[in-house]
Amino acid sequence: MNLFSLQWKESFRAPQWEAKATIKILIGVVSLYFIGSFLFLGSVVYPALNKTVLEREPLEVFNSVLLLFFFAELIIRFFFQQLPVTNIQSLILLPFKKRQIVNHVMLRSVFSPFNLVPFIIYLPFAISMYRDDYLETQALAWWLALLMTTLSLNFLLYIINKNNTYFVALVLLLLGTIALDVYAETDLGKMVGIPFDAVVNKPEYLVGFLLLLCGMYAVLFFFLKKSFYLDAGLGKKRTRVSGGEYTILNFLGDDALILRNDLRMIVRNARPRQIALMSFLFLFYGLVFFTQDIYRDMEYVMVFAGIFVTGGFTMTFGNYVPAWDSSYYKLLMTQNISYKKYLLSKWNLMAFVTAVSALLAIPYVYFGWDILAIVIAGAFFNIGLNTWVTLFGGLLNKTPMKLNVKAKAFENTQGFSMTQFVLIIPKMVLPVLLYWLPSFFISPTAGFISLAGSGIVAIILRDKIANWVTELYKKQKHETIEAFNK
Amino acid sequence: MIQLENLSKKYEEVTVLEVASLSISKGEHFGLVGNNGAGKTTLFSLLLDLIRPSSGKVSINKIEVAISEAWKKDTAAFIDDAFLIDYLTPEEYFAFVAQLRKVSTTELDVFLAQFEEFFNGEVLAQKKYIRDFSKGNQKKVGLAAAFIGKPEVVILDEPFANLDPSSQIRLKKFLTNDQNTDCTLLISSHDLNHVTDVCDRIVLLEKGSIIKDTPKSPETLKELEAYFSAQ
Repeated sequence: MNLFSLQWKESFRAPQWEAKATIKILIGVVSLYFIGSFLFLGSVVYPALNKTVLEREPLEVFNSVLLLFFFAELIIRFFFQQLPVTNIQSLILLPFKKRQIVNHVMLRSVFSPFNLVPFIIYLPFAISMYRDDYLETQALAWWLALLMTTLSLNFLLYIINKNNTYFVALVLLLLGTIALDVYAETDLGKMVGIPFDAVVNKPEYLVGFLLLLCGMYAVLFFFLKKSFYLDAGLGKKRTRVSGGEYTILNFLGDDALILRNDLRMIVRNARPRQIALMSFLFLFYGLVFFTQDIYRDMEYVMVFAGIFVTGGFTMTFGNYVPAWDSSYYKLLMTQNISYKKYLLSKWNLMAFVTAVSALLAIPYVYFGWDILAIVIAGAFFNIGLNTWVTLFGGLLNKTPMKLNVKAKAFENTQGFSMTQFVLIIPKMVLPVLLYWLPSFFISPTAGFISLAGSGIVAIILRDKIANWVTELYKKQKHETIEAFNK
Repeated sequence: MIQLENLSKKYEEVTVLEVASLSISKGEHFGLVGNNGAGKTTLFSLLLDLIRPSSGKVSINKIEVAISEAWKKDTAAFIDDAFLIDYLTPEEYFAFVAQLRKVSTTELDVFLAQFEEFFNGEVLAQKKYIRDFSKGNQKKVGLAAAFIGKPEVVILDEPFANLDPSSQIRLKKFLTNDQNTDCTLLISSHDLNHVTDVCDRIVLLEKGSIIKDTPKSPETLKELEAYFSAQ
């Protein structure tokens, strides 16, 4: 009981509750939007499957793709779910039984937004089943089976989260299964659905899922209890040092200095690693739009997607400059380096990654030369202009960054301000207009020239823009130092 | 070397520092003492342009710190953890600072060799990131780095805190050795013994004002002890 009251205080005295009312409302709206869309998804899937896949039962179809669901869930959880272990250190010497604390930690993890999935996706589906012609016991048994599986995944994540090798092994296993199904036409993925088919026919089989859940709980319980020492599982982990010389950058001379440091920062800290991986996924963003025929004629959607394909890193990384350096900002502000040089090296990094993304995006030519042209023009815009807009946006972000702590999903209010929200206009709307207006009134080629040209002009004027942004940074210097000092 | 004019810092209506005028000449070893909240760190932060003064100005080498960035090439400091890049190894951190200060790798190696005793075999070649070092060893890294490239001005806040007794003595030896006689050294400390050993001028701050500014004499330590016991 004591533990829960501590927990209560911790969550309600956390800094994010002190965020401004507007931000709270916005987060509320966004969460509701997501919950709403998933609820909608959950409730339309069944009728949709009923209509489209005539020869098979919707439930059977759904069960056969469950593996993909679990796979996606595991990946998202791995990247975003923060496990509540670190704050146990202060309790370890107090007169709680170990068993009590371990149980508490595990129970706490159940109250995670990720465990809402059974409620917002599977429950509407189960209700649709009941409304069709399944018995309520059947629908309930199916739903309970999925609920228990989700919770088992929740506990499984604890074990793999401590160990990247387990995670990689699991991902390879799952990918292998999917690959075999696609290329060798095996039915391994569908086999995952079999227990869920079975539980509908015989609700008694739920016992099996219950055993799985209990087993998972027990495994994790002993795993955590064993590692219940500061130097074993719960404390900060010491990382082994490797690499980091990046001698390949030497040709850049002095400019390589901050760049090399940024690379080390990204590779050696959890939070920037997470962002870098996410920005890599942006490369595939185009697949969502370019593959759909309905978007083909909507040029603005194409430009929008094109900007994202190469701009992922710029927009995610740049948004946290200078917050990335918050823990040693005073050093940078007193050492022998000018503000302008500092900003230019951040620009170089973003420009470089954007250029590499553009090269990696060449396969998009598969969808047509015009698509590739949009992606390339978008890359020029990203390098020339978006970099500076995000650097300006980052300046408004005055929350110090804990580099080696993963971001918590749904709690990432870091540096969110109305101004940053407004900055979406130059980041997203401007490139669309730059392309679409000339394209509409003259020709698509004119649109391409206008979008790419704006970026090229900005690259030529780089030095002037840099001076201007440097002045903005200088004006905010003391406020930034003070904010990062907290 | 360093000039302060009408410098003051107020938070809301509370004045935390008020110095009408203070001038520190080249090569002076300047010791700042005072109880918690006297304004020592505030003074150092103002010197480094880390906080904005409510009035007045600071110049280092005749360069006003709030206006130009040129003072940075002659000045180094170690105030707190925010001067360490914790995901680097000490070697990488030293190399980073050395490059900023235009010091070559060979010069850096020579420079670091003199800290062998001070580091006590616990800092270099440990294959650890700075964040995984103990507080004391982190401090050693920051202190040594502040002297890379022979800066004309070095500002150290509480350099003796967190160090073990042997390291404190070794640090004292380093600060008073011949090569640092030209260096304008500013240190603050709660340890009256150390500060009087290292410095040739002692300034006492109380509630944001300078109440004593004397060259060091054999009596200084006794006077300071008398002052602080009467508080």
